[in-house]
Amino acid sequence: MRTNSLLVFCRWLATTHLGIAMRDSTWAFAIVEIGHLLALAVFGGAILLVDLRFFNLGFRTQPISRVARELLPLTVGGGVAMFVSGFLMMTNGPVRYYYNPAFRLKLILFAVAVAFHFTLQILTARGRPEREHSSAWLRIGAAVSLVLWLSVGVAGRAIGYV
Amino acid sequence: MPVALEICRWIYATRFSTAIRESVWLFPIIESIHVLSITVLAGTIAVFDLRLLGVLMKRDPVSTIARQVLPWTWAGFVVMLVTGTLLSIAEAATNYYNPAFRIKLILLVLAGLNPLIFHTSIFRRVESWDVGTAIPIRARAAAVISLGLWSGIIVAGRMIAYLEKP
Repeated sequence: MRTNSLLVFCRWLATTHLGIAMRDSTWAFAIVEIGHLLALAVFGGAILLVDLRFFNLGFRTQPISRVARELLPLTVGGGVAMFVSGFLMMTNGPVRYYYNPAFRLKLILFAVAVAFHFTLQILTARGRPEREHSSAWLRIGAAVSLVLWLSVGVAGRAIGYV
Repeated sequence: MPVALEICRWIYATRFSTAIRESVWLFPIIESIHVLSITVLAGTIAVFDLRLLGVLMKRDPVSTIARQVLPWTWAGFVVMLVTGTLLSIAEAATNYYNPAFRIKLILLVLAGLNPLIFHTSIFRRVESWDVGTAIPIRARAAAVISLGLWSGIIVAGRMIAYLEKP
């Protein structure tokens, strides 16, 4: 029988000091989860305002490249905070999360959302204001980004129900 | 029995409240919209507060950022108010005794007073500090208080489920 290396990794995580601490502490998971929520507010708000700009909404008058550049620290930092807090929550019961279909879906969607959105935001941030033009591709990209991030959130909510 | 408790128990017993509370799908969906819409309400407020603190979008006048961001904040507020009210109706009787719920309501009132005071006082004279780095201490205080209050509201909201007494 072939052993799934990902499952082996999850089983190992549960035996680490981190895994045991997260599992045994009554307040650690709650604190990390609250951190996840607070980061979600800032991260989500920044993502929303970046994508809205592609629709000529929100920060309408500023060049697209400037909005993308100014909000990059929030979206990148926020994304890192979401991933770290999410990872810590997972160490509370790695094998349980391994078998949770909503969690698997969320991780896949998160990877796709990160790759897609940050390609869009970083490429746009590097652009030059004088060469900017509102394009249908940017709007489609923003719409895809919003749908992807919303799906990540919904999958995250589903974790507790499946 | 206190009037408020009687009202909460009456609400809790209605078919409307019971339907939301006992439905397999309805409560989770309403709650999910509520949680995910935190980004629209608190997230946009956070970005505006960060502008007030001179952290980002420093080249843009504060009044411009306010005009561009706050309509979306209001849209988020409407969604949060509607979903929050529905959730509160569904859990009226149990929420009455929940300290996290009471604290959240108090913080929400304060979070409403803070921008009210801000917009009717120091923001009225925004032309004098719209651009540049010399943001008045009262504006920066309002931003810090706002970030603190909304963080508290989010924390209190999450604690409701932890402190629920059956």
